[in-house]
Parts: sequence; C-alpha cells; structure tokens
Amino acid sequence: MKILIIEDEPGLLESIEDYFTEAGNVCETATDYHSAIAKVSLYSYDCILLDITLPDGNGLNILKYLKEHNKTDGVLIISAKNSLDDKLQGLDLGADDYLVKPFHLSELKARVTAIIRRKAFSGSNVLIFNEINIDLQAKEVKVNNQPIKFTRKEYALLLYFFANKGKVVSKNAIAEHLWGDAADMADNFDFIYSHVKNVRKKLEEAGSKDYIKAAYGMGYKLADI
Amino acid sequence: MKLFTHYNRVNLLTTIIVLFITGAIYYGAISYILNHQVDKDIRTEEAETLDYIKEHNTLPEAIDSKYLTVTYLQVNQPVERRFSNADFYNKKEGEKESGRALITSAVVNGRIYQVTISESKVETEDLIRIVFGITIGVILFLLLVLFITNRFILNRIWKPFYGTLHQLRAFSLNDGNDVSAQPSKIDEFNELNQAVEHMSARVKRDYKDLKAFTENASHELLTPIAVINSKMDSLIQTGEYNEQQSKLLDDVYDAVSRLTRLNQSLLLLVKIENKLVTDNEIIHLKPLIEEKISEFKELFHDKQLVFTCEMTDKQVTTSRYLIEILLNNLLSNAMRHNYQNGEINVLLTNTKLMIQNTGTENALPQNEIYKRFNKSASSEGTGLGLTICKQICDNYGYQLNYSYDTLYHSFTILFNQQ
Repeated sequence: MKILIIEDEPGLLESIEDYFTEAGNVCETATDYHSAIAKVSLYSYDCILLDITLPDGNGLNILKYLKEHNKTDGVLIISAKNSLDDKLQGLDLGADDYLVKPFHLSELKARVTAIIRRKAFSGSNVLIFNEINIDLQAKEVKVNNQPIKFTRKEYALLLYFFANKGKVVSKNAIAEHLWGDAADMADNFDFIYSHVKNVRKKLEEAGSKDYIKAAYGMGYKLADI
Repeated sequence: MKLFTHYNRVNLLTTIIVLFITGAIYYGAISYILNHQVDKDIRTEEAETLDYIKEHNTLPEAIDSKYLTVTYLQVNQPVERRFSNADFYNKKEGEKESGRALITSAVVNGRIYQVTISESKVETEDLIRIVFGITIGVILFLLLVLFITNRFILNRIWKPFYGTLHQLRAFSLNDGNDVSAQPSKIDEFNELNQAVEHMSARVKRDYKDLKAFTENASHELLTPIAVINSKMDSLIQTGEYNEQQSKLLDDVYDAVSRLTRLNQSLLLLVKIENKLVTDNEIIHLKPLIEEKISEFKELFHDKQLVFTCEMTDKQVTTSRYLIEILLNNLLSNAMRHNYQNGEINVLLTNTKLMIQNTGTENALPQNEIYKRFNKSASSEGTGLGLTICKQICDNYGYQLNYSYDTLYHSFTILFNQQ
C-alpha cells in the first residue's frame, strides 16, 4: 500500500515512516503544506496521514483540495488539537478518521489499516493469517473453519494484533486501545495479561499455533513462527 | 453599622452637646444680666431707704409687695453689706420663689438695724425655661430633619455605590460580564467606579493570560510527548531486551502515559472552563451508564469488586463527550480507591446520581478534593479528575456532593430541575 505522511515534526515523521515501512508498503513524506499539495495533486495514495497544523497552511485545506478534485484517497487526520469542532469539520470534509496526539504507533497502524481495508474492499472482507480466518463483517473468527467464540474485547484485541503483525505492541497501547480513558489505572496490566492469555488459549484450543508471543514483559507480538 | 447611621450618630451627638453647651452659656449670660438688673433695683431701693433714714432719721415703713420686700431687724453689731441668693416668699401666691437679697445695716438714732431687701427672680426662671424649651425643640427638629435626609436623600446619593457593590458581588472571572458602573454626580463614587472597572478588567486580563499560558504550555508539550511516545514504540521494535532493560522501558512508558493523561486533562479543563464544549444533546443516562459499566467490567473483575446498581430512566441535556468524562472519572475513582473484594454501588433516580464505593476508613477533606492536583500520595491519577467533574457539574448547574459514612464514600450529582 502507498501512504503519504504529512507532518511537520521531523521526529514524529521519522518514527511513523519507520513503523509503516515494511514489505509491500511505500511511504512518502511531506513536511509542509505546499509540498503536500504538490504530492497529492500528482499521485494518489491508499491513505494520507494528515497533520492539520502545518507551518505554511491549514491541513484542512488539503482535505478541501482532495474533495474538489474528486480524489478518493483515504485520509486520517493527526492533530494536536483535541477539539470537537476540528474533528467534526475534518470528518465533514471527507476525512476517514481522526487521531489526537500523542498516540501509539500501533494505534495509528490499526486505524490506517482499517481505512485502507474499507476503501479497498468496500467494507466486506476476510483477513487470513495462516490457519486463522477473520470475517470482519460477521465479526467471526475461525481456525481451520472452526468458529471460535470471542468476547468483544478479545475480538478487538485480536484485530489489533492483526493490524500490527510483526510489531511489538506495548501493554499501554493495548490498554488505551481497548479501554480508552478507563485505562487510566496503572495497576491494570494484569488483566491485559489475562485477556491475551484467553485469546491465545482459545486460538490454541481450536488448533491454531501460538502466534502471539510476550515481548520481554513490555508487550506482545503477533508473528509467524 | 451603615456609614450614614454612623455618621448621623456622631453628628447628632455633637449637635446635642453643642446645643447643651450653648444652652448653658445662654443660661449663664441671662442669669448674669438679670441678676445684675435685680441687684440694680435692690441698690436703688437701698439708696432710697438710706436717703429716707438720713432725711427723717427714722426707719421707713417695711415693704412687702409681690416682687419686693424690705425688712428691718435690730442688731448689736453692724453686718457686712452683701448680696445673696435667697428664697423669696411670695405671699400672694403662697409659694417660695427663687430671689435675690441684699443685707446691709443702717444706724437710726444710735441703734443699729439690719436692712434686708429681697426681690423675686421668677421672671428670670421663666426666661430660662423658654431657652431650654427652644433648645430641646431645635434638637427634636434636627433629629427629624436628619431622619428625613437619611431616608430620602442619602439613600439616593448612595445608590450608585450600592450598584457598584452589587456588581462586585456578582463578579466572576469565568463569565464574560464586565463591571460597568452607572455614572454618578458624586466624584468619589465616580473614582471608585473607575478604580473598580479598571481592576476588574486587569484581573480578567491576567486570568485570561494565565489560562492562555496553561493552554499554550499544554499544547506545546503535546508534540514532544508525541515524539517520545512514537520513539518508544519504535525502540521496542529494534531487538531483544533483557529483563532489566524491559523494566526500564516499561517505567518510561508508564511515565509517558501519565504525562499524556496529565496534559490532556489540563487541556480539557481549560476547554470546559472556557465553555468551549457546546454540543448539547438529550442523553439517556441509564443506557450510557450501563455501557460504561460494561466497559469497566474487566477492571471491576480484576479487583473482584462487587457491583450493584439501581437505575431509573433519566434524561439530561448535556454534551455526550463531557458526561462520558464525568462518568469515567467518577467510576474510575470508585474503582481506583477501592480495595480488593470491595463494593461499588450506583444509584440513579430522577433527581440524582450517586456512586458509592468502599475504600479507606477516613472521610476525604470536603474542601480539598476538588482542588487541582489534590490527590492521595498513593494515587496514580492525575489529581485533576475531580476538578474536571466539579467543573462539568458547575457548567450544567448540577451540584456535586461528597459524603462519607462508616464504609462508603459517596459522590452524588444533584440534577437541576429542567
């Protein structure tokens, strides 16, 4: 997939680029409004990560530009402004999602993956990873065609791992993804452990290999063995 | 004591004292003049009597009229000539009056006589009585005049002052109203108004600057925090770590996420204080709370908390965003400050929402808990949760109360009558 990252903060830009660059992905970057406009007018992308506060212009104008030129690139707004108005305005202008700084790269990846999936398959598709099979529309997980019953949180957790395949996902990122503001409690990582354990157990019982590994106490990683 | 009551009291007291002193001086002056007059009469009478004795060498007839008596008394030695205040017996009226007497002596045919000439002073007394009457009359009149001035004129003069006072009482840093006093004819009040307007404008500006500073500072912090966060996420992808390194990375993660929450809470607080969240809609509290509870389910379960709830339908018109934050904060507090196997009770009625939890055995200090960064030493929270709750409740006119009775800490939101 082809991704354009429009972000004026070099540190952040570099990290995002690193995280997204993997086999099959092409990442391009723009650090200001004008180079961003130049890129979006020339090429089309699967997803554009757009920081709306740019040094030489408002990122929302890039959205307007895309809309005016009937471009169908997926857009995820990255903003330091946790303002509802901005969010609504961005979504009104055709953005697909909105993420507030600071965020975990794994969260960003999950959101971008979701956007690209929606764009590519018009919302109905099946994720396949070896013997694991996820029907996104039916929200059903099957291993070797045998359905597994997951709770809502477990299902979300598995999807999160799928979106961040091959990456270490930190416990903090998981907690924030699954519990949002409720993840405020620092003494709550035990229940993440038990959640991950449940997912692994259910997958294994259904005959899947154990693809989810604990990564040196900081988080977990879904990877091919 | 009101200023003009105080002023009147002083004023009245001085006036009365001055009037009494004046009265006393009048009295002294009048009695001196009248005594002098009476003495002159008596002296004339004496001269006439002595002339008579010199001419006829015999005592004149004793006089006993309404106002004057002259009596003679034979004595052995001549008496010293002197004036004295003595009672005058008015035979006609049959009563004693104050009077003036001259005692002197005369020699008739070698015999010594004491001559006493006395005259009534009743007219003098009458005069003095009139003087006192007038003085008291003036005092009463003065009281009346002061009362009327106080009632009708002073109240009107002080009106702008009370207007300004009222505005000062209603002054709040958070609403947009400026103090705008009515102009007055009185210079002092105009000066006061000017000073008050100036001061309120300055206070508001300073407060706004301070808030803008908090907001800007929090905003500026977002980018570096975002960079740290993303670098951490990148760092853990780079290779194998031993246990010690993992622990360090874990600690940094925790610190960064606390920093993030703190920062977001500060930004949120500024936003609520400035009333920038205005997306009010009708919210059904019961399903919303149920949703929150199911979100928290795993966390409750982790602490083995016993959860009970009793809810009726209740609608409120608020921002969904803010009411969710309010519920999140109260529920997560109820959980965070609980102990293993503790209890959480939620009660929702038409008038209130109460969230109860077991916890420490001491009541929290009522006045302190809503202050920024007030938290127990062991708490992992930001110390802003309840401040935010209070601010949200204030914005919607709800009352947020805390109480503790032998086991349960309760936070109660009393909804206003909508």
